[in-house]
Amino acid sequence: MTRAPARRRTELGLIFLVVILTGGLYALAGFGKAGDLPADMGPFLGIIFALLLVGHVAMRRLAPNADPILLPTAGLLNGIGYVFIARLSTHEARLQAVWTAVGMAAFVATLALVRRARDLERYRYTFAFLGIGLLLLPLVPGVGENINGARLWVHLGSLNFQPGEIAKLALAVFFSSALVERADLLSKATRRVGRFLVLDPRYLAPILAAWGLSLVIFLAENDLGSSFLFFALFIGLLWVSTGRTYYLGLGAGLFAIGSYLALNVIGHAQSRVQAWLNPWAHPSTSGYQIIQGEFAIAAGGLFGEGPGQSNASHIPEASTDLIFAVIADELGLMGAAAMLFAYLLMVGTGLRIAVRCERQFEKLLATGLSLILGVQTFVIVGGVTRLIPLTGVTLPFVSYGGSSLVANYILLAVLLRISHDTETPRPTDQIPELYGTGAASL
Amino acid sequence: MPDPVLTLLKYLFLAVLYLFFMRVLRAVWVELREPKPAPLAPAPGPVPSSSNQPDARSAHPSPGERGPERLVVVAPADHKGSEFALSDEVTVGRAGGCGVLLADDTFVSQLHARVFRRDGDIYVEDLGSTNGTYLNKKKVTAPVVVHKGDKIQFGRTTLEVRK
Repeated sequence: MTRAPARRRTELGLIFLVVILTGGLYALAGFGKAGDLPADMGPFLGIIFALLLVGHVAMRRLAPNADPILLPTAGLLNGIGYVFIARLSTHEARLQAVWTAVGMAAFVATLALVRRARDLERYRYTFAFLGIGLLLLPLVPGVGENINGARLWVHLGSLNFQPGEIAKLALAVFFSSALVERADLLSKATRRVGRFLVLDPRYLAPILAAWGLSLVIFLAENDLGSSFLFFALFIGLLWVSTGRTYYLGLGAGLFAIGSYLALNVIGHAQSRVQAWLNPWAHPSTSGYQIIQGEFAIAAGGLFGEGPGQSNASHIPEASTDLIFAVIADELGLMGAAAMLFAYLLMVGTGLRIAVRCERQFEKLLATGLSLILGVQTFVIVGGVTRLIPLTGVTLPFVSYGGSSLVANYILLAVLLRISHDTETPRPTDQIPELYGTGAASL
Repeated sequence: MPDPVLTLLKYLFLAVLYLFFMRVLRAVWVELREPKPAPLAPAPGPVPSSSNQPDARSAHPSPGERGPERLVVVAPADHKGSEFALSDEVTVGRAGGCGVLLADDTFVSQLHARVFRRDGDIYVEDLGSTNGTYLNKKKVTAPVVVHKGDKIQFGRTTLEVRK
């Protein structure tokens, strides 16, 4: 218990550093772009400090024993992302500021509502239906909307929202609880086929159904990045819950079949792969975005051109999909590596929280949430750096996009809740002392 | 602001950025060095099963015998350190035939619980005892897996699982 104040003190100290860093970067970007301090420097500093402080106070009150580094690291990523969005588009920056406040509110609300992570386990089918419902929402005529060839958006009046972001979290909860229930059945082969003992498919059916359905939905919405994320999450959780490596092989095989089908069926996928393998075939159309991203990264060199000083704003989708290229351009390899470092630390911390959990459900959920964060970062950074085909997922906490930001803050809150649960010594007064406390002889 | 100053400030920003990570890593390091607050369940996976265990009945208390897993009395103080080896199945109780014989504890039922091995895991199951069986202070209502370091309480006697 004596660790709680120490942890929160560490957190507060890191938050001060985050405010200094974000404020400094904002001022630098202002000087670099316009030659002067940004006009709203004072309010900017005040608002980021206030937002982080709200998160910190909520932690002190609601999860005092939780890990101290996740919130400041997320705040740093959020702050750096905001500066680069503001540097690219004032309009988007205003919206992103509002969404950051909503995200922080969602963070506090999640911490306040989910008082014990294990309570989530009981609502597994609620979460399954919620997740699938949210995934289906954009396909509903009149509500859904196509943006950039992917049907991911829901608009209610003037408000646009990507429900798939929240659906990921709901389905991670469902997978974790469903797998905990079946882990034993899934780790032992019981059905004989020829000479081999294989898993009884009956036990897998509900999970496979949920997975297949959501995969079909993703494909119908043309969101390749998210379907890969979802698939990786599913296979990863199967592997972790059963401890059987063959699930990784199974996953690789299914992935190969899936990508083959996707390539032959979805034109969207085909053009993405061609733009990845040879962007120079169509340098002014399908390859344009990737090529501009690569130029930006190359121009950045080791230390970057300086915040606000590059001409990165001409890159298509600079503030969402390609924001990593913009950061690499203006802060160079050092800045880009720092971003990756931040993600590594967050994923590592998430897995460390998972390792320390005593209950399987929390262990799996923490693993799943860390996987979401890590795989999503890999998919988008890999896409921008041309390691894999570029698909439009957001860079967590950094990219412009409200739904993603809110979802990631909720994810963070759940991870911290699990961490708090694990680090809090369990109350020892659950059993009534049978008869007095004396050390009477046996 | 002249360019060289901006460039210098950029380096300063990057330096403070990495200072932030140094601080974060230090915080992680401090935590890793500290002992863990609660006994941790070992990672799920098959526990190496052992077959040729000494007969548990002869093991009350016999400090010479060291099976792969043992039950060690941690409370009450006057029986502290007594050990029971774990075979494939041992019963716990006050009746004469019990493998883990807790004859002195009047809060233990005649046939109180059993501890058994299945598929490499060790389970504890309450056999309808009057005062209940508790694993890490939680009441045992169905057979549950026990791990190294877990504390099982029968009556007023607490035993720890050790290897």
